[in-house]
Amino acid sequence: MPFMKGKAPIRRTLKYLESSRLVLKERVKLQYKNPQVQVATFKNLTPTPFVRIFLENGEDILVDVDSKSRSEIHDHLKTIICKSESTLQKEARELMINPANFGWGCDRQCICEIPGQVPCPGIIPLPNHMRGKYKFGEKFD
Amino acid sequence: MAGAVARNFMVIGQCIAHETKNAAKVRVKKLQFDERLHMYFPKHTNFYAHDPEKQCKVGDIVLIQALPEKMTRFITHSLVKVVYPYGDVTDPITGKKCVVSSYRENIDKRNEMFGMAEEGASGFDYAEAPERGWQEGKKDFTHKVGYKKWHEFEPGHPLYNDPVAS
Repeated sequence: MPFMKGKAPIRRTLKYLESSRLVLKERVKLQYKNPQVQVATFKNLTPTPFVRIFLENGEDILVDVDSKSRSEIHDHLKTIICKSESTLQKEARELMINPANFGWGCDRQCICEIPGQVPCPGIIPLPNHMRGKYKFGEKFD
Repeated sequence: MAGAVARNFMVIGQCIAHETKNAAKVRVKKLQFDERLHMYFPKHTNFYAHDPEKQCKVGDIVLIQALPEKMTRFITHSLVKVVYPYGDVTDPITGKKCVVSSYRENIDKRNEMFGMAEEGASGFDYAEAPERGWQEGKKDFTHKVGYKKWHEFEPGHPLYNDPVAS
């Protein structure tokens, strides 16, 4: 595959990108989940690594990251600045499309597929009182 | 596409040379996602930030905030603070001055142990050095936008010895 180039091409798969545990807070995964935030990396600035988060009211949060494992940093940032699980679930529920919908892009294509509705006239002909051909057509004796 | 959209919140970037006065030109690097390659690519935007006191110099890393209304045709942001001045970075965790990967006090200690050369070759002395910008206008022209020199003026012309005349 021509795009699977580089040190760790798994970084470029959707599955990896969507697996970020920080919604607002892994640099590339973080950016994918939070497109509004500017994620900048400054190299060769200071001897100690740190994460600095600038908030809207002018405050900044400093997180010392020296000798911390990836999951430790993740969990720490999650408790500080990420949306809680309940908030995320609530937002996901709001975005969910009404499951009762039918048509293009939904589970069911036509109303005839829904149990309790009139079955598909292509399979079972409609009763005569529902057919225009019968009601308004030629009457044979 | 983002382009030169004034954002509702703060961005961090590096100051670059510019021609406008009372403002700082800040180059902000944002990551733009390519849908097809699933990769992020850096994209630079230049913002002009209102800075009447001339707090930031070329090379400083500064935090700027979008103004609710544009001040002039170009100035859309205002300076919040200078985060890391160029050449004079303070490590926010320890509070000490540092140089790339070592603290200045450690460098001084090491130099003491080795011994310093008499003149010149002993390296930059942070304690004795004058404020940044003391050669600006005389020998240092990095604050001006550079351009190619196309013409050599004859002696007698008002722009003859001008170092920045093209």
